[in-house]
Amino acid sequence: MDESIKRTMQRLVRRIPNQLLKPTLDKWGRLTAAQKQSLDFTQPKWALTERLLALCEENEWTAKHIIELEMIYVIDNPNQGMWYAFQLMDPEDDAASVELAQFKEQFKSHLRELVKHVSVKIKKHTDEAVWIRIAWGDGFTRPNHLKPTYVVHHLQTPYVFVSSLTSKQKPLLSQALVLSTRYNVIKDANLSGRKLTAIRDLLMRQYQQVFPTKFPSPLTEKNETVSNPCIEKEQSGAAANRLQMACEAFGDGELPQLQSAVYKLETKFKDPTNKTMTEQEEPFKCVIKFASTNLLESLKQCATSGIASTPVTPLLSSIPLKGRNYFVITDNGPGPTTQMHTSQK
Amino acid sequence: RSCLGLTPALTARRLSKSRKAPKSHYITVRQRQPLLMFFSHEKVNPEHLALLLKSEWKLSYVTPLYQFRHTQLKSYSRQLSAFIAAEKQQGFAVEVDGSQSNFRVSFSVVQGMTETEDDAETVLIQVRAGFLRPISEAQRSVWSGWLTCVNGNSDYLCSLPKDFICLPLFGSSGSEVLTTLVQSWFQKMFDCCFGPLEMNNTCLQWLAALWTNCHPESSIQHLKMIWTLPVVPPLQITYTVNPKDAWKLWSSVRKDPCEENKEEEGVSIDIEDVMRFMQGLKSHFYRHFRLDLSAGCLKQVSTALGSATFSGRVKISNSQYILSTLTLLTECALFKMPV
Repeated sequence: MDESIKRTMQRLVRRIPNQLLKPTLDKWGRLTAAQKQSLDFTQPKWALTERLLALCEENEWTAKHIIELEMIYVIDNPNQGMWYAFQLMDPEDDAASVELAQFKEQFKSHLRELVKHVSVKIKKHTDEAVWIRIAWGDGFTRPNHLKPTYVVHHLQTPYVFVSSLTSKQKPLLSQALVLSTRYNVIKDANLSGRKLTAIRDLLMRQYQQVFPTKFPSPLTEKNETVSNPCIEKEQSGAAANRLQMACEAFGDGELPQLQSAVYKLETKFKDPTNKTMTEQEEPFKCVIKFASTNLLESLKQCATSGIASTPVTPLLSSIPLKGRNYFVITDNGPGPTTQMHTSQK
Repeated sequence: RSCLGLTPALTARRLSKSRKAPKSHYITVRQRQPLLMFFSHEKVNPEHLALLLKSEWKLSYVTPLYQFRHTQLKSYSRQLSAFIAAEKQQGFAVEVDGSQSNFRVSFSVVQGMTETEDDAETVLIQVRAGFLRPISEAQRSVWSGWLTCVNGNSDYLCSLPKDFICLPLFGSSGSEVLTTLVQSWFQKMFDCCFGPLEMNNTCLQWLAALWTNCHPESSIQHLKMIWTLPVVPPLQITYTVNPKDAWKLWSSVRKDPCEENKEEEGVSIDIEDVMRFMQGLKSHFYRHFRLDLSAGCLKQVSTALGSATFSGRVKISNSQYILSTLTLLTECALFKMPV
């Protein structure tokens, strides 16, 4: 058996958690009933790997089969690794009518023109997403199946999600994508995260949003002894107000799970108590990174608890509103202004 | 036995409201200022210094040591080696790359790591492991630690009974099990006690300011501060400031330097300066995000000169400012020590 196939298989099995191994293999459907029976999933991982490698040899599986298995696993478990969003711009007239078959053929042929040795496998998923797996080689080396790039594109939308792409491969992929989707430009959407579903939902607005309309207060009054009804009432009113504004800014229900947001600030330092700094011509340069296991939920809680003042600043509400988590902020207006004008590049 | 009973200096054990600006001390070479020539830190063994700068240290405070003698280090080395060996026999899990290794402890004095006559000399402890006897110098160091006192409050130090040596700051790096063993040996031998040295907001803010103050002489590369905010799930905010801008802000919040009398004491820094500096940073942040950093907890501060975390892990990366950093940490340790 080819050494590289063996290694790809080994790596893949190691990546798949024990409890997912059986359903993934079932879905793949390359094992005979008897072979399936012979696998003992209670065994440790290394023993299972050995057994699968033996079966690999027995069934004469090729790289194609292993890639199939890998794609099944990755498509079913998309929330791994780092995903970066890109946006296609400036469509040709026929961009809206690009079909799967046409896209597949075009993409493959364009990429092969650019790279001599490349292995491309395209698969359509049930949710209309097209999954592309690219193993890159170059003029001299065969495609490296151990470090494939994954690309997810929803046909008829301008969004593309990419994981494991090097800066060298980026222009090649960009060109192939632009040509095969009939757009003219592809640009960085400044959105990235570990959960593909979350960044897709953010960009495509597939989460529960709250619009600024008056809605009944979700706070139920508890029957506690009220020391001063007026204060209590005012406070619960303020809390309800904060909650409403937090929901308007970040959404309601389960929010898309983003891990971070980064702001590069190059704005003037303005502080009435610090004349020296306020008079400086040059901007104050700093980078702010917010991080959490669920960033939008954390920010929403900051607003509801009062740690963040409401209404929520446009800088923070831009994350869900614009579907971005990387911003460069500079001062817009020339001369001293009382209000902060910021532009987002 | 309370070693601290009736010490008039107890009230002095608090964080200074003002301290000298860190002067760069070229502690491995001859002092440039003749005034300080006779005055400690003439020369620190470069090997010791390299060791101090190499690792990140987990800090603890230590109460004064009863009948500790700097002249007995050889004997302590033997005793601690024997203690570790005995504990290992009793099944203490001292596993460092296989269970068959022997440990050899060496105590040494780090000459020159002091600022005043009252500071006791720093003691360095190294544990090496090897499979063969005798264990050579070259064998792998598996644990190191030190006890120090730099610029300890002299009122307090002088008020201690004669038999006590105060080395309140303990740093360790290496296996936690060995840390525990070394600490329990010290406790038995010198009737002292150890406790974790957490670095509160004030201490971390002091470090941020002291390091930023060094920028013109020695670039800080960046000033990075990490806060966590108490929401669910916790929100972590990393604030990284361009070094030049950090320095500009720092100089703008400092008192007018002309007002100060620049004697050999050097420039002093006030807690008010530090607070104004942090307030400036926080208000710039608030202006953009309408989010109050004071609601959170400062967890980490780092620059190219060093880094420190709330949990008491410190790395000092630049030898020139090691003494001013240790002065602050000594103060924190004295402050944290139970009475």
